[in-house]
Amino acid sequence: MLTYIVRRLIVAVLILLGASFLVYVLTAVSGDPLADLRESNAPNRDQLIAFRTDLLNLDVPPVLRYFAWLGGAAGCLVPFAATCDLGNAINGAEVTQLLERAMGQTILLVTAATILAILIGITLGIITALRQYSGLDYGVTFMAFLFFSLPIFWVAVLLKEYGAISFNDFLREPDISLFALIVCGLLTAFLFYLVSVGNLKKRLLTAAVGFAFAVALLWTLDALGWFLTPGFGPVVIAIIGVGLAYGVTLLSAGLKNRKALYSSLIVVGIGMVAYFAVQPLLDRATGLMIFLLAVATVLVGVAVGHFMGGYDRRQNMTAAGLTAFLMGFFILLDRFMQAWPAYFDNSRIRGRPIATIGSSTPNLQGDFWILGLDTFTHLLLPTIALMLISLAGYSRYSRASMLEIMNQDYIRTARAKGLGERTVVMRHAFRNALIPLATLVAFDIGGLIGGAIITEQVFAFSGMGQLFVGALRVVDLNPVMGVFLITGILALVFNLVADLVYSVLDPRVRVKA
Amino acid sequence: MRFGRTSKAVGVAAVAALALSACAESGGGEDPGTGGGGEASGGTVTVAEVNPFSSFNSDTAVGNVDINNKVALLTTNDFNYINSDLEVVPREEFGTYEVVSEDPLTVTYTVNEGVTWSDGEPVDADDLLLSWASTSAYFDDESDPDPEVEGDETGTTYFSAASTAGLDLTEMPELGEDGRSITLVYSEPYADWEIAFGVTDTPAHVVATNAGLADGDALIEAIQNAPEGDPENPQERPEISAIADFWNTGFDSTSLPSDPALYLSNGPYVVSEMVPDQSMTLVRNEDYNWGPIPAIDEITIRYIGDANAQVQALQNGEVDIIQPQASADTLTSLEAIDGVEILQGPELSFDHLDLYQEGGVFADENVRKAFMKTVPLEQIVDATIRPLDPESGPRMSQIFDFGTEPYLAAVEENGSSEYAEVDIEGAKELLDGATPEVRIMYNAENPNRVDAYTLIAESAEQAGFRVVDVGLPGAEWGPALEEGGARWDATIFGWISPGVGVTGVPQLYGCGSASNYVQWCDEEAQEAMDELILTTDPAEQQELQTLVDTRLYETGFGLPLFQSVGINGVSDRIEGTEYMSNQDGIWWNYWEWTVAE
Repeated sequence: MLTYIVRRLIVAVLILLGASFLVYVLTAVSGDPLADLRESNAPNRDQLIAFRTDLLNLDVPPVLRYFAWLGGAAGCLVPFAATCDLGNAINGAEVTQLLERAMGQTILLVTAATILAILIGITLGIITALRQYSGLDYGVTFMAFLFFSLPIFWVAVLLKEYGAISFNDFLREPDISLFALIVCGLLTAFLFYLVSVGNLKKRLLTAAVGFAFAVALLWTLDALGWFLTPGFGPVVIAIIGVGLAYGVTLLSAGLKNRKALYSSLIVVGIGMVAYFAVQPLLDRATGLMIFLLAVATVLVGVAVGHFMGGYDRRQNMTAAGLTAFLMGFFILLDRFMQAWPAYFDNSRIRGRPIATIGSSTPNLQGDFWILGLDTFTHLLLPTIALMLISLAGYSRYSRASMLEIMNQDYIRTARAKGLGERTVVMRHAFRNALIPLATLVAFDIGGLIGGAIITEQVFAFSGMGQLFVGALRVVDLNPVMGVFLITGILALVFNLVADLVYSVLDPRVRVKA
Repeated sequence: MRFGRTSKAVGVAAVAALALSACAESGGGEDPGTGGGGEASGGTVTVAEVNPFSSFNSDTAVGNVDINNKVALLTTNDFNYINSDLEVVPREEFGTYEVVSEDPLTVTYTVNEGVTWSDGEPVDADDLLLSWASTSAYFDDESDPDPEVEGDETGTTYFSAASTAGLDLTEMPELGEDGRSITLVYSEPYADWEIAFGVTDTPAHVVATNAGLADGDALIEAIQNAPEGDPENPQERPEISAIADFWNTGFDSTSLPSDPALYLSNGPYVVSEMVPDQSMTLVRNEDYNWGPIPAIDEITIRYIGDANAQVQALQNGEVDIIQPQASADTLTSLEAIDGVEILQGPELSFDHLDLYQEGGVFADENVRKAFMKTVPLEQIVDATIRPLDPESGPRMSQIFDFGTEPYLAAVEENGSSEYAEVDIEGAKELLDGATPEVRIMYNAENPNRVDAYTLIAESAEQAGFRVVDVGLPGAEWGPALEEGGARWDATIFGWISPGVGVTGVPQLYGCGSASNYVQWCDEEAQEAMDELILTTDPAEQQELQTLVDTRLYETGFGLPLFQSVGINGVSDRIEGTEYMSNQDGIWWNYWEWTVAE
C-alpha cells in the first residue's frame, strides 16, 4: 500500500514538472506581455518597457525563465519557511497573495452548488432508478439533459434577468396575478402527476390535489403579505416537525419501528420547546454558536433515541438525530426569515434583495442574520446556475449504478429471504450504489478549486477562473502558472485519493503494491 | 447513581449554556436594521469599474493604471485639473502657480495655507520637494553602455516614476520662505510645463518615517544634500535609495492597510473600506475645504469586469454608474432599461493608417496620396463606431482630438478635406496606370482593425492597388511594427492621445523618433516641432500643431481613421454627470454629482 502511494506520488511530481514546463513555454510564446506598452505613446515608453522587462525577467528566454520560476516555486515545499515565491503579476502583485484570495472566492462560490448538486443529483438518480421507465424517470432524464446542454453564460444571464431583476421588481408590489397563480398550479399538478403512482384516475386525482394545494398556498401567502414578511411561526414549524419525524423514520427505520418513530416525535416536541427557549439566544448569534447548537441538537436527538431503548437502539438514534438536525435547520430558517424585513429595508439594499454580482453588499452592517441573508441573496443565483448544470452528471451516474445493483443476485436473495423493500433499497442497494460515485465526487472536489470561469465572470466573482483567464489575456505568466500549479496538484492528489477510497469502500478492489 | 447522572447532565448543560453565551455576539440583539452611512443627507453612489484597485501611489510605473488614478482624483487635490473640453483649469482654492520668468522658464508653486493631509499634517515644502524628486529622475545615474552585453550596467534608477517628462529638465528647486512653495527652473523652455508638476499622492512625512528618517524636514535635507545623478560617475545615495524603495512599493495594496498613514487624503474623500477584488468605499474627508465640496457623502466602487454584468447590475440597482467596454450589444441592452441615462462620446484612443515612407512602394508621394484617396473613411466609421455613437465621425486630424475647438479649427485648413470622400478616379490619375503592391499589417485579432483593413483593401483594389494581407496575430503584430519596409508598407494600429499637452507630437512624428514607425521626416514639420516643445503660449502652440498637422496631410503620412467610443450608463438617481473623453472618464466632475431621491 505504502509503496503504491509513494510510487504514485513520484509519478505525480514528474507529471507536474512536465506539464508545468509545457504550460509555461506555451503560454510564454502565446503572446506579447509588452503589447499594451508598444502601442503607448507615453514619453517614457522605453523606460516603462524596461521596468516591466525587469520585473518579469522578460529578457530571459522562456525556457530558462521556467527554471527560474521553478526555483521560486520549489521554495513553497519548505513548510513555514516563508520562502514561497511564485513571482509577481504584471501589476506587481505577489502571485501567492492573488491565489489565496482567488481560492477563497472560488470556494465560496462553488461549495454550496457542489454539495447541493451531489445530494439532489444522487437522490434523483436513486428515485428514477427505482421507478425506471416511469413518467417521472423520463421527466427527470429530460430535464437533466436539458440543463446539462444549456450554456451556462446564457442560464446565468437569464437567471439574473428573471431571478434577480424581475423578482426584485415583483417584491416592490408583491401581487400574484390570477394567470401566474394558475400557471404555478398547473406546474405543481404536473409534478404531482409525475410523482404519483397507481391508475390514471388516481394519478389525476393526485394532480388535482396538487393544483388546489399550490393555488391555495400561493394565494394565502400573497394575502398574508408573506413575501415581504416571511416566516413559519410555531404552528407551521410543529407541522413540519411531525412530517419530518414520519419521513425520516420511514427512510431510516421504517414506520413499524415504533420506538424510532416515538423518539423522533419526542425530539420534535423538545424542538418546539427549544424554539421558544433559544430565540433570545439566537438574537445574539455567531457562526460558532450556531455550530455548537447544531452539535448539541444532534446529541440531544441521539440521546433521546438511546434512552428510548428497544431491540435496535441504533435505528432510534439515527432517526432521532436526523430529525433533530432537520428540526434545528427549520428553526434556523425561521429565524433568518424573521430578519428578512430588516434586511429588505436596509438602506444599502433599498428593497432589491437578490443580487446579480459579487459575494456581499459593500458596507452592509448588521448582525449574523442580516449578513447571512446577504450572503444567501448573493450566492443564490450562481449556486442555482452551477447546480443545474452539474445535476445531470450525478443523477445519471447514480441512476445507472443503482439500476445495476438492483439487478444483482444478492438483491434477489435479500428479497427472497423476506426483507422489506425499504431495507432492501436503503441497506443493501443504496450503499453499494454509492461506491462508483466516490470516484466522481473525489474528482469534483479536486476540480472545485479550478474555478468556474464563466460563472465567475458573469457574477463578477474574482476567483481562480478569472485570475487564470485575466492573466492569460495579457500573457501574464506567473498568475497563470500559479493557478495551474494549484489545480494540477489537486487533480493529481484527488486522483490518488479516489483510487484509495475505492479500494477501501469496495473490498473486491485491492491496491497492488 | 441516578442522581449523579442527573447532576452530571445538569453540569454539562450549564457548561454548554456558558459556552454558548460566551460565543454570542456582544451588544445584544437590538435591531441593527438600517445600519451604514445612508442616513446623512448627501446620499451614496456606487460606481462600477472594470479593474480592481492596486495602489495608493498612482505615480509609479506599476501603479499608474486608470483605476488608481481615478481613486487618486477623489483623494488628492492639485494645482489644476482637466475639464471635459480637455482644458487645464487651475484650482486656486488648493494653491497657485505662476511663471516668474520666461527665460529661463521659472515657475513658482504655492500651496494655500490650511491645506492638510487627513491626519492634520499640512501639505507643504516636504511634499512639494518629494513630488519633484520622485518624478524628475534627478538622482538617477543608471547606464547600460552596451545593451547586448550582460553585466556592464552601472548606477541606479531610484524612483520608478510613471513619467518624468518636463521635470527632468529642472535643477534642484528652491523652497520658499513660507515653507509651502517651490520654484522650478527649467534648463530650456518646456511647452507642457503646466501639467509637468503636481503634488503626488504620497505624503512626504509618511514616506520619511517609513524610510527611516525622522520627519519631513529630514527628508528635505536628505533630498537637498544628495548629489545629482551622473551616469558617468555613479554614486551611492543611501537615504534617497531608502526613500525611493518605500515610495516605489510601500503604497501598493489591494486591501485596506493596517497603518492609516498609508492612505491619507488631501482631497474631498478618504478611503474607509476595501474588500480585495470586490469593492472599495470612500467617505468624506471632514477637514476638506480647499476646493469644491462634493454633494455625495459616500462613494462605493465595485469591480465588475464583464460588460453585460455591469448592465444588469445597473438595472438591478446594485450600481448607479457603469462604464462598460463599449460594444453594440452593451448599448442595445442599456437602451432597453428604463431610468438610465446613456452618455456616449469619443475616447482618446484612435486608429490610424500609416504609410511607410523610407523606400518600398510608398516612397513615392503620389502613390501615398493615391492610396489615401481610396480610403473609405465614412464606410469604416459606419462599420466600427457609428453603431455605438451616431454623432461620431471619422477623425480628420492627426494631432487634435475629435470635437475639441482646436480640432474644428484645424480641420478647416489642414488639407484633410481632400480625403473625406473616396476618390477612385483621382487615385487612378495619380497612379497613372501603375498597379503597385501594398502589404498592410494590422492586428488580425482586433475586429475593428480587421473591418478597417477589409474596407481599405477593397476600395484600394478598385484604383488598381494590389493589396497583400499581412495581418498578424495579437502576439506578433506589436514587435512587427518596427520592421516597416521589410514586412509591411502600410499598417493600421492605434495611439492613445494624451488629450492635453503638446510634447507627444514629436514623439510620434519627429524625425527618427522611436514611435515614428513609418520613418516620416519632414523638415518644415520638424522645425515646427522643435519650436513647439519650447513654446509655452497656447495660441502659438496651436498654430505650430496645425502646421505639423497640415504637413502630415500634405506629404501623405497616412490617415487617422476614427476615435473609439466610450459608453457610460447612469441611473437617473444620479444627476450632474457628464461624459469625459480622457482616462478620468465619468469621474472628472464628481463634485457636481447629486443624488435625486
